[in-house]
Amino acid sequence: MHDVSVTGLIVVLGVLALASVVGLVLRFRAGRVRTTTRRGAPGWDLAGVTPEAVDRVLLLQLSSPICTPCRQTAAQLTDLAARPGIRHVEVDIAERPEIARTLDVMRTPTTVAFARDGRELLRVSGVPRRQELLEALDSELTSAR
Amino acid sequence: MQLDPRGVRVAATITTVVLALVLITGSGWLALAQAVVFALPALFGMRLSPYGALFRVAVRPRLGPPSETEDAAPVRFSQTVGLVFTVVAAAGYMTGVTALGVVATAFALAAAFLNAAFGFCLGCEMYGLIARARGARTA
Repeated sequence: MHDVSVTGLIVVLGVLALASVVGLVLRFRAGRVRTTTRRGAPGWDLAGVTPEAVDRVLLLQLSSPICTPCRQTAAQLTDLAARPGIRHVEVDIAERPEIARTLDVMRTPTTVAFARDGRELLRVSGVPRRQELLEALDSELTSAR
Repeated sequence: MQLDPRGVRVAATITTVVLALVLITGSGWLALAQAVVFALPALFGMRLSPYGALFRVAVRPRLGPPSETEDAAPVRFSQTVGLVFTVVAAAGYMTGVTALGVVATAFALAAAFLNAAFGFCLGCEMYGLIARARGARTA
């Protein structure tokens, strides 16, 4: 029979402590809107869509095939896109890895919002908190047409 | 196929305990046993998950039907990731390269614990990263 390994015990406690911190950070960040100020990433081009006259905001959702929260996110954003001014495009990063690279996205689902003029507005990792997202987009949606 | 998310969490909890015991005892055989537990659902589908079967028989009858279900494909992929790590761990412990066994088991433990305690599927997240890395190589 094996003896108890003190090193093993320390590793167990260390891993559990570290994973707890990671888990709490992920839980805190999940679905939260982060305002971003990156420039130059051509969101509408990447999504392959041309903004129509009424479009104010593009919600570009990066998904992967093996991803349960991506489906919840897609359902929610499809619903949001029923509002005037919002376009939703979902891309699969397994098929279009260059989009994930260009936008420097590591996790799915990540939603990147672009203004009509191409400015990046915000990002959300995980299933977006609906109200928070709508409030963050409000000024862009009500801007002069 | 759809899974009961509570079953997935229970399976991850048992896995967490087993992997902690692997580290504490340094047993390559226990790591190998956990590798077999990962291999069955990874190779033949989630119905053959031993911990999942335990949940269906022992826990689920007391809980009633789930309020929501979860797609099986991501979970099955995460079992494959777990399989790779535990096979490396078992090989490390059994060939005397204990450091390899410790490191591989530690990664698997972190992933299992994140799933058990936070419902966060690290193996599922890796899928996107792997796809991205592949794209980077061929680009």
